[in-house]
Amino acid sequence: MNKLLSRTPGKVILTLVGIIVAWAFFWPVVWMTGSAFRPEKEIFEYFQPISIHTLIPSNYTLDNFRAAIEVGFGRAWFNSIVVSLASAALGLAITVPAAFALSVLRFRGRGLAFAILFVTFSVPFELVAIPLASSFRDWGLTNTYTGLILPGLANGFAILLLRQFFAGVPEQLKEAARVDGAGWFRIMLQIYVPLAKPALASAGLMLFIGQWQAYLWPLLVADKPEMQVGSVALANLQAGAVGGTQFGAIFAGAILLSIVPTVIMLSMQRVFVLSIASTGVKG
Amino acid sequence: MATDTTGVERAPREHAAGRTEAVPLRARTWQREGLVAAAFLAPSAIVLLVLRLYPTVEALIASAQRQPLNILAAPVFVGLDNYRTLLVESPTFWPSVAATVIFVTIVVVAQTVGALALGLLYTQHMYATRWWRALVFLPITIPMAVSTLVWQIAFRNDGVVNGFLSALGLGQYNYFATRGLAYFAFLTILSWIGLGYWMALLIAGLADVPTEVRDAAKVDGAGAIRTFFSIVLPLLKRPLAFVAVALTVTNFFTFIPEAVITQGGPRDATRFLMFEIYTEAYSNGNTNRASAEIVLLAIIILAIVAVEFKLIAPED
Repeated sequence: MNKLLSRTPGKVILTLVGIIVAWAFFWPVVWMTGSAFRPEKEIFEYFQPISIHTLIPSNYTLDNFRAAIEVGFGRAWFNSIVVSLASAALGLAITVPAAFALSVLRFRGRGLAFAILFVTFSVPFELVAIPLASSFRDWGLTNTYTGLILPGLANGFAILLLRQFFAGVPEQLKEAARVDGAGWFRIMLQIYVPLAKPALASAGLMLFIGQWQAYLWPLLVADKPEMQVGSVALANLQAGAVGGTQFGAIFAGAILLSIVPTVIMLSMQRVFVLSIASTGVKG
Repeated sequence: MATDTTGVERAPREHAAGRTEAVPLRARTWQREGLVAAAFLAPSAIVLLVLRLYPTVEALIASAQRQPLNILAAPVFVGLDNYRTLLVESPTFWPSVAATVIFVTIVVVAQTVGALALGLLYTQHMYATRWWRALVFLPITIPMAVSTLVWQIAFRNDGVVNGFLSALGLGQYNYFATRGLAYFAFLTILSWIGLGYWMALLIAGLADVPTEVRDAAKVDGAGAIRTFFSIVLPLLKRPLAFVAVALTVTNFFTFIPEAVITQGGPRDATRFLMFEIYTEAYSNGNTNRASAEIVLLAIIILAIVAVEFKLIAPED
């Protein structure tokens, strides 16, 4: 049967099946993008009966984006960017030395230290989000960037990924630098970090996306409109919290929130494959 | 303090003390590297202590206390009373556990099978496979809250899903009105988001199945179905187990769909545990009982994951 399918007619049929299945996943993206660029009153117009304009607008406009900015979505989008970028940068700043210590330095209890860090940071954060949020209230961290950023600093898989990468760097490089009298901090920064660029990009991506996706935590610690992140602001828009539901603005906001991670991931496709391969499945 | 939990700082020193005479140089190196390691691990250890361990301890303590009506008064120790209330009296706790377990089971089974089917489809010989895979994978790049909001609009009575269904002669539905339809809609949303990701994981696993093994099976006259069940499936056991366990854990924390779309309805059908806890803490303002629920949630997940490991890998 495999032999038959690998011949051209079989290949064409399989390709058709592949396209149909892919379309089942892709049409909502087309519809969502189309709705962001069509006039507000057209958004529900072409469903009964369906036509080509169900997915593709008959008129194009940028009004929805203007409406989204007017209800303050621009600020929320900016907040998401600040929080995600800061989390990725600071997250790497604490993850890199940890991963370096856990792979390059030799000390008793290294395996245990790694296990504790990896397991703890891999337990879903939702489990401690609600108790931690009340502590953050006591500490005056609600509605601050610090409050939004802090929980996004640690990621078990980022530690795992960097540790594996550092462990693969030839020992001779380290030994040679030691003989030359280089300190550990310098060895890390000048030998290991430059070699680990793909792993750093991948770990940074995990930290960034983790924050960009966050909903529960920002909902708990940032309720002031000017401190809300994109996903929370968009949900409030849907709930009609700001002067009735404006569907056009919601679609525009959805595009603004989707475009950032999509562009990053597509441009870093090879890096992303690396991060999947490191999740331990391939052992 | 930070390094004590990891045992990093103390261990090398004991080691050095015990064996200074025997291997002085090596012991000293270990000690020095141990101190450096402690410094390098300190930021992570602080994050771990403050942002993970501390709230865990807080939740445990709060779960054994009750706040008197006067909110300025100190909390009173009540032992296991909050747990007893939840397990015996609460009208919402057990229904929430049941709803969560039922829904998570549906998601885990459907998505594991779905991801495997997609993985098998997109490892066949076809034109431009990478593109079709990329389209299936694309939704994971969209934040979950955004996907949920967009699908909520799609599932409206006058929405695009009903438009397509009635065009196909399949009728129109009021999603989120009954338990069955709400679960169907939630499953659609979560699968649209996640299937591509799990598919990618399984494709990585499928790539590890040696082609020689498959070729040998073909030479021996095994058909496609036989090859799949006797060769591919056993070799995929590890990645499949990973997918199933990961799906269980993530979906136990499902919060966005019910918080954004249904507020736990219809008739508490989607009042999953995270939303039950959130409601208890914020709408009812009972942080103590919410803390007890968090502890119970952790216990339930640990138990289920342990059972899954037993079922999936009995020989290990």
